[in-house]
Amino acid sequence: MKLLVVEDESLLRQQLVQGLTSAGFVVDDAADGKSGLYYATEFDYDAAIIDLGLPELDGLSLIRQVRGMNKNFPVLVLTARGDWQDKVGGLDAGADDYVVKPFQIEEIKARINALLRRAAGFAKPKLEFGPLALDLSAKRLTVHDRMVDLTAYEYKMLEYLMLHPGQVISKTELTEHLYAQDYDRDSNVLEVFVRRLRQKLDPDQTLRPIETVRGQGYRFSVPAA
Amino acid sequence: MKKTETTTEYSLQTRLLFAVSILLFIFLGLTGMVLDRAFRDSIEAGVAEQLQLQIYLLLAYAEEEGGEFYFLEDLREPRFGRLNSGLYGFISSAVEGELWRSDSALDLQFQDNQVLQQHVATGETAFTTIRSADNEQLFAVSYGILWEDGESEYTFTVMETSEPYLSEISGFRASLWSWLGGVAVLLLALQLILMRWGLSPLHRMAKDLKLIESGEREQLEGVYPRELRGVANNLNLLIKTERKQQARYRTTLGDLAHSLKTPLAVITGLMENLFQGRGEVLSGDVKQQVAAVEEQLERMNQIVSYQLQRAVTADSSSTLARQVRVAAVIRKILDALVKVYADKQVHYELDLDETVIFPGDERDLMEIVGNIVDNAFKYGSSMVRITAGVAESAKTCRELVIFVEDDGPGIAPDKRQFVLQRGARADTLATGQGIGLAVVTDIIGSYNGSINVGESDLGGASIEVRIDLVISPVVVN
Repeated sequence: MKLLVVEDESLLRQQLVQGLTSAGFVVDDAADGKSGLYYATEFDYDAAIIDLGLPELDGLSLIRQVRGMNKNFPVLVLTARGDWQDKVGGLDAGADDYVVKPFQIEEIKARINALLRRAAGFAKPKLEFGPLALDLSAKRLTVHDRMVDLTAYEYKMLEYLMLHPGQVISKTELTEHLYAQDYDRDSNVLEVFVRRLRQKLDPDQTLRPIETVRGQGYRFSVPAA
Repeated sequence: MKKTETTTEYSLQTRLLFAVSILLFIFLGLTGMVLDRAFRDSIEAGVAEQLQLQIYLLLAYAEEEGGEFYFLEDLREPRFGRLNSGLYGFISSAVEGELWRSDSALDLQFQDNQVLQQHVATGETAFTTIRSADNEQLFAVSYGILWEDGESEYTFTVMETSEPYLSEISGFRASLWSWLGGVAVLLLALQLILMRWGLSPLHRMAKDLKLIESGEREQLEGVYPRELRGVANNLNLLIKTERKQQARYRTTLGDLAHSLKTPLAVITGLMENLFQGRGEVLSGDVKQQVAAVEEQLERMNQIVSYQLQRAVTADSSSTLARQVRVAAVIRKILDALVKVYADKQVHYELDLDETVIFPGDERDLMEIVGNIVDNAFKYGSSMVRITAGVAESAKTCRELVIFVEDDGPGIAPDKRQFVLQRGARADTLATGQGIGLAVVTDIIGSYNGSINVGESDLGGASIEVRIDLVISPVVVN
């Protein structure tokens, strides 16, 4: 999952980036509204965390401009004032949730996870497809109620695919959303991960949840039982 | 500090009308009196002149012999010969008293018998009013003469009943006062119209100020007369400055909040990073200190939040506060909360009086509604009901009532006062206690309102807010 963090206070930004990266997110960060807008325009994100008090271009205008470009990823607003005018203003401009400063990084993670899940159309923090169940809060996969061990990268890939069921996800998109920008994109490591995931999810090859769409990418789907 | 004024002041129009009426009545009254007096004087002068002529007539025909007077010819004035004709002639001397009276006066008696014995110097004329024994008023003119013998002094007196003159005077008086009354009414009506016209710019200004209060206008517009132009310009400047100052104050507070809370967020994050996953490594002593630092951080955060909210509130109850439509603000807050609590799928019921207004700043209403409805969404299981309307109150007749109910666990009766506690100082708030309702209580207090916690028939808590719609906000220092 790829996130954009726009916060002007460098220490706080670092903490956010660090906390979210260690939670398995790929994070781009910007120190002011203008560069935030540049990132949001140029790249594709799964969610954004935007501070309302930004230099160059304030948070509200940034959100409005992002929404104006038909970018519909969920936005979490950080507000220092914490009064309702600010909260309502942020939500009205197009944000989806708010967190009042100061906050615990755990709260941010929980809110972002909830927003990602909601954006994918899931009400509960557990994605269930037939015998496969992915718990987004505990970051745990069960198949036929049996827990399956996944590495961090395997989990991230599966989570992204399961949050976009039925959609063809290109290798480029997967790479962008799972790895930091400097990652070597020509590597065939993705194919290795997909092969390993298929073995873990469906050792008997009865479900075939991850389908390869030739020349286009991968599609996650589980036929109705 | 509270300050209320209860004096009843008359309007400018009433004052002016009152003053002008008094002036008008004094002026017309004096005019009437002067005219009345002048008319009376001219009548009396006319009478005196006529009676003087009658005296000359008597003088011309009077003959004297041995102190007795007689007339050889008939007097040209027949009324002297007709009994009780109303015109009476007398000849008298100061020493001997009455010497002759005309036939008309044979029956006439006076209240004062000395009337004819008064001395009038030769060539002098005296005009008096006297009363007969029948209490009839008579005008009398006496003329003193020195007789042909060069020794005897006599007084010729002619009297005439004042009846016809008095009725002429009273006729004049009646028509004079009725005319003056008519003029007074006409002038008052004219005065009223002129005053309305004269004061109309003030009325217009009052109306414009009302529009500003209700938020329909930003400042005084239109052309005012020269005398009011300065006031209007200054008022506009005041309104503008006040709004600018308010905005600047809020921006400063926002910046302050940002610059205080961001470092707090950084420290919180650093603490988290420092001690994450090292729970077992740390000794009990260090753990305690870490917990104390975290507690202090939380307290600092609460103090900053609470004081900032309070500062914004105290500033906002301004005399030029706008009026805010309650229903619109509730809907705005609901739209936001539905987004935030999308996972919970809370159903809400609204019963809003669309016309009801909040007599103050939109931010304050947002804080009140935001905090209370947020609690209802947070603690309610699946149902929230919001009612807003106007109710009759004993104090001011009308008050705004907002009811927010939920189907959550509710608030235990012994905790109800505690959650509303209005902390004069933020650090009196217990750790972990949210500042939301305390801020709400503060704001409502600054509008002379009340807040009550109860039980809803939905099963959870009900919060009732009441705010007077008539009394203007009290300034809290």
